[in-house]
Amino acid sequence: MATRNRTFMFKRYRDALKTVRLPSYTSDAGGGGPVIEMTNKQTRSYAPLSTIDPGTSSFVGTPTVGLPPAWVDVSEEIAANIQRARSKLSELSKAHAKALMPSFGDGKEDQHRIEALTYVVTDLLKKSEKRLRKLSAGGPLEDSTIRKNVQRSLATDLQSLSVELRRKQSHYLKCLQQQQKESSDGVDLEMNDSGKHSKSEDDGFDGLGFSEHQMAKLKKSEAFSMEREREIQQVGESVNELAQIMKDLSALVIDQGTIIDRIDYNIQNVAATVDEGLKQLQKVAFVSIIFFHLSPSRAKSETRGNGNVRYSTCGPVLSDVGSLNHQGDSLLILLLFNIINMSDA
Amino acid sequence: MVLVSSVRDYVNRMLQDISGMKVLILDSQTVSAVSVVYSQSELLQKEVFLVELVDAISMSKESMSHLKAVYFLRPTSENIQHLKRQLAKPRFGEYNLFFSNMLNSTQLHILADSDEHEVVQQVQEFFADFVAIDPYHFTLNTPSNHMYMLPAVIDPPNLQNYCDRIVDGLAAIFLAFKRRPVIRYSRTSDIAKRIAHEASKLMYQQESGLFDFRRTEISPLLLVIDRRDDPVTPLLNQWTYQAMVHELIGIKDNKVDLGNVGKFSKDQQEVVLSSEQDAFFKANMYENFGDIGMSIKRMVDDFQQVAKSNQNIQTIEDMAKFVDNYPEYRKMQGNVSKHVTLVTEMSKIVEERKLMLVSQTEQELACNGGQGAAFEAVTNLLNNESVSDIDRLRLVMLYALRYEKESPVQLMQLFNKLASRSPKYKPGLVQFLLKQAGVDRRTGDLYGNRDILNIARNMARGLKGVENVYTQHQPLLFQTMESITKGRLRDVDYPFVGNHFQQGRPQEVVIFIVGGTTYEESRSVALQNSLNSGIRFILGGSSLLNSKSFLKDLEEAQRISRSSTGVV
Repeated sequence: MATRNRTFMFKRYRDALKTVRLPSYTSDAGGGGPVIEMTNKQTRSYAPLSTIDPGTSSFVGTPTVGLPPAWVDVSEEIAANIQRARSKLSELSKAHAKALMPSFGDGKEDQHRIEALTYVVTDLLKKSEKRLRKLSAGGPLEDSTIRKNVQRSLATDLQSLSVELRRKQSHYLKCLQQQQKESSDGVDLEMNDSGKHSKSEDDGFDGLGFSEHQMAKLKKSEAFSMEREREIQQVGESVNELAQIMKDLSALVIDQGTIIDRIDYNIQNVAATVDEGLKQLQKVAFVSIIFFHLSPSRAKSETRGNGNVRYSTCGPVLSDVGSLNHQGDSLLILLLFNIINMSDA
Repeated sequence: MVLVSSVRDYVNRMLQDISGMKVLILDSQTVSAVSVVYSQSELLQKEVFLVELVDAISMSKESMSHLKAVYFLRPTSENIQHLKRQLAKPRFGEYNLFFSNMLNSTQLHILADSDEHEVVQQVQEFFADFVAIDPYHFTLNTPSNHMYMLPAVIDPPNLQNYCDRIVDGLAAIFLAFKRRPVIRYSRTSDIAKRIAHEASKLMYQQESGLFDFRRTEISPLLLVIDRRDDPVTPLLNQWTYQAMVHELIGIKDNKVDLGNVGKFSKDQQEVVLSSEQDAFFKANMYENFGDIGMSIKRMVDDFQQVAKSNQNIQTIEDMAKFVDNYPEYRKMQGNVSKHVTLVTEMSKIVEERKLMLVSQTEQELACNGGQGAAFEAVTNLLNNESVSDIDRLRLVMLYALRYEKESPVQLMQLFNKLASRSPKYKPGLVQFLLKQAGVDRRTGDLYGNRDILNIARNMARGLKGVENVYTQHQPLLFQTMESITKGRLRDVDYPFVGNHFQQGRPQEVVIFIVGGTTYEESRSVALQNSLNSGIRFILGGSSLLNSKSFLKDLEEAQRISRSSTGVV
């Protein structure tokens, strides 16, 4: 891919012309330069872009260096938050790995750490998501298009981060449940991987003390499983929170490969109208898909009008959940309700 | 030498070194070039938060100095004028100017003169001056594409513009590949000859420094041919996926507008059909219509499978997984419904216009002899009420091209019949086609009946039988590529420009069809490349034809040459 850089020639011409031009130059000084937009924030990481060297052209009526609009600060703040969330997330995944390592007793510390980190990341995501809304507001057409695009781009980042967090959590959750199952499933299993799970404790136990030891262990594992249950519940809740964030974001993120992702389409169609339509569309799609796949009685409800679907959802799903019979029931109900509710929101 | 990735690389290089928020400003031509290879979400990743056309950006006066402007424009005089005005009153923090082709020094002077505020950071030439619709197929979307049919005396300035655009496009292709080709053209075409000579002059004289890449390998070949050497291909109905969509609905820069086919919801009204972004399309774009039906059925089945697994949500993990996979799921859903819609709509059209029936005769006319039977078949179809006007016209044209010399009397009868059945066509259009692309004007052996070797081969093919009557036609391009592969492209028919001859067999060949390419030819090129014969072919044209646009060019050319016969 050949390219040719003409900048040198261009600058030479420009410099040559400058000397000719200088005298008549001052006349258009102060000719309605762009207005400086002031923001009340003192600290800004943003360096105003000035390509004009004040030394060479100070007396010339160059355009006033416009400060960027206030929303630029917001977007930078969000970007910084995303950055922080990302680094916290990698800490979290390390903590997960550590917590899953076989150990009894002092898992509490890890647990707290995980809780704290999860909270921080989720909080950062939630905060960013809330700030993100501030970006879209009226104003001149071009500016609002830019904002919308900045918003989209940040939303895409946020979404991928949320997905990552969720993946990590559900992986952690799965491992937790597996461990729980193993520890409560029976002693045999425990015996078999005793080497893996509790090396130090099992060291040197003999045939005689077997059943007592077992009893003690059983009790321990009961307590342990209660504890784990709680953990699972916690993770479940944060998954739930994430689902909310995801849903809010998905209205902003562009589906790749679709017409909305085409550059020329975006030029033709002024962003505002597209976005609104998209939002509505996704709302409908989300509700109907959740409904479609959760309810066994979907054939019946499918025939109902679109508007009815939303309300008729709760009924069959609830009765359905009642018949489910395994751990996590209550969580599932919670989740379902939340998803249904948030589609209404 | 892959077109799509070259343009993508150019765009990447434009954007990567400019940090911060950017606005990308394009013109009506570069917007196509960028849109087919780069997506909006990719632009967002590069912090391009506004994309505008160069004429629209001057509407607003508001300052946006927090944005850096990246211009990517063709170096036309209108664009330079736009820039001149915009540089005089800068709105953006800095200006980075990229041009899709060579700037002359006058243009550079104008720009330098208007940059009083010294806001321009760089001026570069990035040669992405073509629309890379597929990896081996490009178009130039040349305006007034009928120009190639007009004699040079009718409208010299516009013909010059037309040639310039094509020469620019060809220059950009070879600059993007960093190669300088040897150039050949089809002997009987004035316009192909002119373009070949102008390209050669540019590459070997005017800008010989720019084109000197000091490469030691064998030079690639640029072959400039004329659409009128093969007027049959753009007149045929198509039965492979991509070609068929273009023929029946229309593809523009890899987008399909369903607006005039039926009523669809807003998000379905226009769909993207790109081999780069859509795996299903990539796998099936060259398959025939029957197989597409099967593939789509499989895709729907797969989708239902996924839907079913999503239905079985019992635990939180299932739930989490479902929400995770939801974007993917929705994408799949969108794709399934897109292809189902396209195929359904095309089936309707096929049924409505009795295209199976029509196409059988078309293929017979294009591929096999037997004038008596052909005459009867065409006559019957002309009498058939359900055959549409455009199909009637095409049948008569195909008959005329084939039996131009053999049976003038019967041809006359068909002309009259067509005039009485389909009065909306101006009389003489078929005759105009013969004048333009009749047997005496063509280079190459379109029907494989001039050369004893070709006749023998056609007979052999006839004996073998054909797999599918609807797709038996091979464009003339297929033979041309075969000749090049075997090193048998005749110097008499396809002379070299100047004294730059081919030293040995080329590894890369760009075939440019003045007047436009078809997707049938694109398919032929893709299949040829998949054989790994050691030669890679790239196909390009001034425009992307279907029968409708080919006929429109023909009508326009006829109208102009009629109105100007009095003058000349």
